[in-house]
Amino acid sequence: MTLNDRPALSGRVGRGRVLPGVMTGEPQKEVIPRPRADEAGHATPGDVRLPPVSDAAEAESGELVVRARLGDRAAWGFLVGRHAPLLWAIARSCGLDDADCGDVVQTTWLRLVERIDAVRDPQAVPHWLAVTARREAVSLARRRGREAPADPLCFTDVPRPRSRRPAIGNGSSGVHELVSGPEDTALAREQIGRVGDAIRTLPRRCQDLLRMLALAHSYSELAAALDIPVGSIGSARTRCLAHLRRRLAT
Amino acid sequence: MKEEPFLDELRAAFEHLDPVPEEVLAAGRSALSWHEPNADLAELTGEKDRELVGARSTSGIRLLTFHAPGHTVEVEVSGAGQDLALIGRLAPATVAEVRLRHPNASGQSTRADETGRFALTSVPEGLVSLVFDLPDASCVVTSWIRL
Repeated sequence: MTLNDRPALSGRVGRGRVLPGVMTGEPQKEVIPRPRADEAGHATPGDVRLPPVSDAAEAESGELVVRARLGDRAAWGFLVGRHAPLLWAIARSCGLDDADCGDVVQTTWLRLVERIDAVRDPQAVPHWLAVTARREAVSLARRRGREAPADPLCFTDVPRPRSRRPAIGNGSSGVHELVSGPEDTALAREQIGRVGDAIRTLPRRCQDLLRMLALAHSYSELAAALDIPVGSIGSARTRCLAHLRRRLAT
Repeated sequence: MKEEPFLDELRAAFEHLDPVPEEVLAAGRSALSWHEPNADLAELTGEKDRELVGARSTSGIRLLTFHAPGHTVEVEVSGAGQDLALIGRLAPATVAEVRLRHPNASGQSTRADETGRFALTSVPEGLVSLVFDLPDASCVVTSWIRL
């Protein structure tokens, strides 16, 4: 099992970059003064343990964690850009709104920062992030009173009620749509394309599985995100992809 | 994980349907600024509400207990909304500078007295963490909690 880096994701990292000091939620405290590892990397080219930061986009997440621990903000930024989409998707799968999803994602990053010096196996961090985000999301959803058994958005062991599965060929019902509302314009639909349209006709559980399948970097991360055993991913994946293909074929 | 040709298309579709807001990414990037490399982490080991389970009313009091190697922090949280009060005790008892960290509000600080007791008021709800600077120059930081 590898923790693949995807060029598509690293490309997203740089977009919309915010300058330090004007970031939302920038802590109002003195930042510990010490050389940034990316600067150090350029200043001391002989240091083989910290290659220039331009490699960070290609670096494995475990290495980014090690660099971030040494104060390399660029490495941390890549780590955030690479894993935030899955953490956001995990929170969303628990039925949380935008504010609460953001809260879950931020709590997860803060939990990593608070114990980043104690991380013994940096390669395991992506899995740990998914587990932590899920735990935070479930806890917040519970606090918000969104744990009604009839609406197990958090992939509990409770079987999904059949009534929530649309019949084959049935159009989308609001319940299963990832997003809906007036902002869902014709133009947006066109941009989303046929895949987006097909996704929205799938049962919510399949939407979540496919979304996390597309975002996870390993099966262990995916299993943690969905909170299901690694062994049961294969069949669920096959079923949901078949579901999607059927929708795309019609 | 990459063998499925659908995945790139899927990822793009989901990103369009429900993108991660830029402010969430920016906050995540800034999270490293909260790194306290020289602090001992006090993990949350106990939490209970004085109200009945599931009925965390605005008048309820939350009791939080954190443990770090050699230190215990107990905090009572009362109040509601933007006006929470944190009454706490550091054990073993010692004076300390107490800093409140809050990503969405300005930090505030107070002092723990000889009995280790401290109080913070007018704390807005949200994620918070307490940092204790001890007389021996060591530092204890509580795990982040959502108030």
